[in-house]
Amino acid sequence: MANKGQQNAQVFDTDDPDRIQDIGWTAREVWRRSRGFVVTSINIMTFFILWEIVTIYGNINPLFLPKASDMFMELWVGLTTRAPEGAVFSGSILDHFLHSFSNLMFGLGIAILIGVPGGLLMGGNKYIEAILSPYVWALASLPRIALVPLFILFLGFTTTMQVTIIVISAVFPIMINAWAGVKTTEKSLLAAARVFGANRRQLYVKVVLPYTLPFIISGIQQGIGRGLIGVVIAELFGGSNGLGYLIQRSADTFNTAMNFAVLLLLIVMSLSLINFTRWLEAYVAPWRSANHL
Amino acid sequence: MSLSNEPIIVANDLTISYELHRERKKLTALQDINLEVKAGEFVVLVGPSGCGKTSFINAISGLVPKETGSVTVRGEEVTGPGPDRAMVFQDYALLPWRTVESNVRMPFEFQDLGVSEAEKKKRVQECLELVDLNGFEKSFPYELSGGMKQRVGIARALITHPDILLADEPFAAIDAMTREAMQAEMERIVMETGQTCVFITHSIDEAILLGDRVVVISYRPGKVKEIVDINFPRPRMSNSEVKTSREYAEIRDHIWKLVKDEASQTNRGE
Repeated sequence: MANKGQQNAQVFDTDDPDRIQDIGWTAREVWRRSRGFVVTSINIMTFFILWEIVTIYGNINPLFLPKASDMFMELWVGLTTRAPEGAVFSGSILDHFLHSFSNLMFGLGIAILIGVPGGLLMGGNKYIEAILSPYVWALASLPRIALVPLFILFLGFTTTMQVTIIVISAVFPIMINAWAGVKTTEKSLLAAARVFGANRRQLYVKVVLPYTLPFIISGIQQGIGRGLIGVVIAELFGGSNGLGYLIQRSADTFNTAMNFAVLLLLIVMSLSLINFTRWLEAYVAPWRSANHL
Repeated sequence: MSLSNEPIIVANDLTISYELHRERKKLTALQDINLEVKAGEFVVLVGPSGCGKTSFINAISGLVPKETGSVTVRGEEVTGPGPDRAMVFQDYALLPWRTVESNVRMPFEFQDLGVSEAEKKKRVQECLELVDLNGFEKSFPYELSGGMKQRVGIARALITHPDILLADEPFAAIDAMTREAMQAEMERIVMETGQTCVFITHSIDEAILLGDRVVVISYRPGKVKEIVDINFPRPRMSNSEVKTSREYAEIRDHIWKLVKDEASQTNRGE
C-alpha cells in the first residue's frame, strides 16, 4: 500500500525541468493572441464609419453632432499647429494639451511624494494613523470640485491653482492605498520574517514595502483618473489654458467638432495612462496577475 | 540518528492566553503544558482545531509571549525568535517577489550569523539539493506547485542549520499524492540531518508515520492529554509493512479516539 502510494506520488511530481518543451508558434496561436486587438480595431473603425454615414445622410445639425471626419480633422490640425509667438490666445490643441499634461504630471508627482510616505507612515504607526485618519477621510470623501472656488480665492486663476486641485484630487487614493497595503501585509510573511531574525526596520524595508508596492501603483492608477478630473475642473472654472478651457471655449464658439476632438484626446490620454500603470503593476508584481490566471 | 537523553526543549507549566478585545475576555489557549523534547526527537502534536497547538509552537519560536510558566531551549528561556529555531509554515510564507534562491537565503540576510559568502552559497545549493529543487534557483514561488513551494519553505528553514525545526501543518494545503511524497521527503531529511522537530498535523496517519512521539492536546484550554510513543523502525514511509501492521491500526485507533473525544467538544457550541 505504502509502496504504491510512493510510486503514484512520483508520477504526480511536477518538478522535472525536462518536461518543459518548445512547442513553437502556429498560425492558430498567433490568431488566438492577436484576435482581441484585431476585433477591437474593426469594432472602433466601424463605429466611426457609421458615425460618418449617419452625419452625412441623416441631416443632423453639425452643431449637435459633427461629422467624425471633421472631428479628426480638428484633432489633426490642432495637434500639428502651434500658436504663433506672442499670441494672446491659442487655438492649438497641442498647446493646451501640453499645458494640461505637464500640469497633470507635475500634480501627480507631488501627490505621489506626499501620498506614498503619508500612507506608509499611517500604516506603520498607530499614533500617526489616529491623528491623521479623520482628516484624510474627511478630505477624501469631500467632492473635490467643492474646493475649487476656495482655491481660486486663495491662488487666483493661476497654474498653481490648477496644480493644487490636481494634487488634492490625486493624493488621497494614493495615500489610502499605501495605507491599506501596509495594513493588509500578510501576517504569515511577517511571522516568517520575524522567525528568521528580521528586526523592525527589516520588516518594513524587506517585507511591508515590497508587499505594498502594487497597492501604491493601483493607488496611482486611481490617482490618475481623479487627477484628470481635477485637471478639467480646474481649467473649466478658472484659467485661459488647458484642455478644460478649450472644451469650454469650443462650446462657446459653437465649434462642436473641436469640442469632440478634445474629448477624444482626453479619452485616449486617460486610457493610455491607466494602461501604463496596469503594465507597470504586472511588471513589478507578476505574482498578483499570476494568481488569477 | 542519535537520541541523547538531554532535553533540548522544556516546557514547564506553560500557559498562553489571548485577550479578546471586543468582549473584554481572556481566552486561555494552553494551560499548564509540561513537555520535554529530546535532541534529535521528532514530536508530533495532534488535537482538534483551536486547541492551541499553534500557540505552543509559536511559544517555542518566540513569536507569541507566554503568560506563565516557561519554555527553555538548551536551558535558556525563550524571549524571542532566534537562529537556533526555524519554522515551516502551512501557507509556505514565501516572499512572492523573491526567487527561490533569494527566499532560501533570507535567514542569512536578516541576521549576521558569521557565515562567509562562500559558505552561504554552498548551503543554498546543499539545501536545494536536499529538497530536490536544484535547477529552480531563479524561479519565483508563483511559478511553482504547492509541494515545490513547501520544499522551498523547508530549504529556507534548514539553511541556518537550526537546532530545532518547527512545522505548523506544513502539508495541510497540499494534495494527497504530493503530500505522501512530501512526508517521505520529510522523513528522509530528518533521518539525514538528525534534526529535532516539533510538528503539528491534523492527520493521524501523518503523525504516526513521522513521529517518535505523538502528543495529543485536549480542547480548550489545551492540555497534554496523552503522549503516545511510536516505535516503528525508520524509514517508515517506504516500508509497506508499517501501515498494514496490526500495531499501526491499534495506535491509529487509539489516537483517533482520543482526538475524536476532544473534537466532539468543539461541536457542542461554546
